[in-house]
Amino acid sequence: MRFFSNTHLYDDPWSIVSLAFFLRYPNPYAAHVLSCDVISRTHTPQGTLLTTRLILKKGSLPKWAPKGIISRAESWILEESEVDPLGRVVRCKTRNLDHVKVMRVEEVTTLRQAEDGKTLQTNEARIVSRFGWGLAKTIENHGLAKFKANLQRSREGLSHILSALRQTQLQPMIAGSSLYPPMTVNTTVHEASSSTSPSISVPDIQIVSDGNEEQFGIDLEQSENRPGMFRRMSSWFRGRSR
Amino acid sequence: MAHSLSPECTPLKHAYDSCFNAWFAGYLEPTLTVHEQREKDKNPRDYQKRKAEEFQQNCGKVWESYRECVQKAIKNKGLTEVLDQAREENPLREPPPPLDIPSHGGSSQNSK
Repeated sequence: MRFFSNTHLYDDPWSIVSLAFFLRYPNPYAAHVLSCDVISRTHTPQGTLLTTRLILKKGSLPKWAPKGIISRAESWILEESEVDPLGRVVRCKTRNLDHVKVMRVEEVTTLRQAEDGKTLQTNEARIVSRFGWGLAKTIENHGLAKFKANLQRSREGLSHILSALRQTQLQPMIAGSSLYPPMTVNTTVHEASSSTSPSISVPDIQIVSDGNEEQFGIDLEQSENRPGMFRRMSSWFRGRSR
Repeated sequence: MAHSLSPECTPLKHAYDSCFNAWFAGYLEPTLTVHEQREKDKNPRDYQKRKAEEFQQNCGKVWESYRECVQKAIKNKGLTEVLDQAREENPLREPPPPLDIPSHGGSSQNSK
């Protein structure tokens, strides 16, 4: 078994980082996430929120991997999390459900409120291979190297979501007097591949495809009709997911 | 928002996610009146219970439809057994891992 542990300090407050953590798919650094579903969500008597998500990830096998052992390079990931808003902690455990004999990766992430309004993230991983042919150690080492690289990417992904949350003025919304303060968002996304699902209406968001650079501009205005910020945000995320 | 594992559930998933996210922001960082703040300080558990009821009221219906759709898709893909087995282990019920952060071998770094 290989064990790995690492901590990271985000400058944003716990509530924002936790929100970003649950909003993190899709993001440009997680193109390998094919689907993500909530399969159970319960409120505990202690006031915490338990969530189970089932995530399908596209994997890539190393060149030396024996052929025919894994028929498809996709993996189901189970993610179980507990959010404790009073204790200011998110605990999250993920592991793969298939190919577990080849390699089982179990990751524990915690987000805790730190000093000065910052948030401390801790990641721990346990990597176990029960593969024969003397390959277990090689596989575990490969898994560990991949995990380290992926951790960096997942943090970049989370930072990406965080900066999007900052830019959409989400903080004033959360700290403000009502859930949906009077504001309109005029958004222009310059992205060649941008498109939104035709079945879903996208209020107040105009997507222009005329270049590679992206821009996310916001105008604060009074408006009678107040579509939720999250709906606009999620529309934007959906736009990004293509 | 990412897609659902079954394309037919994706619109329901997006509707549910939007509802949940709006509620979740208030759950993480409630915007309270002075009266509500007093109430929360007095009995935080009651306050959390009320938040749970609010979720049920706002998102309960769409959650049921979405859940039904996903459960069916899971069954169709033959994932029920592997999921039940995995969830029986219920990893979150284990004691939380120790958090002796500075003494861990891992590196620390700032986000900026």
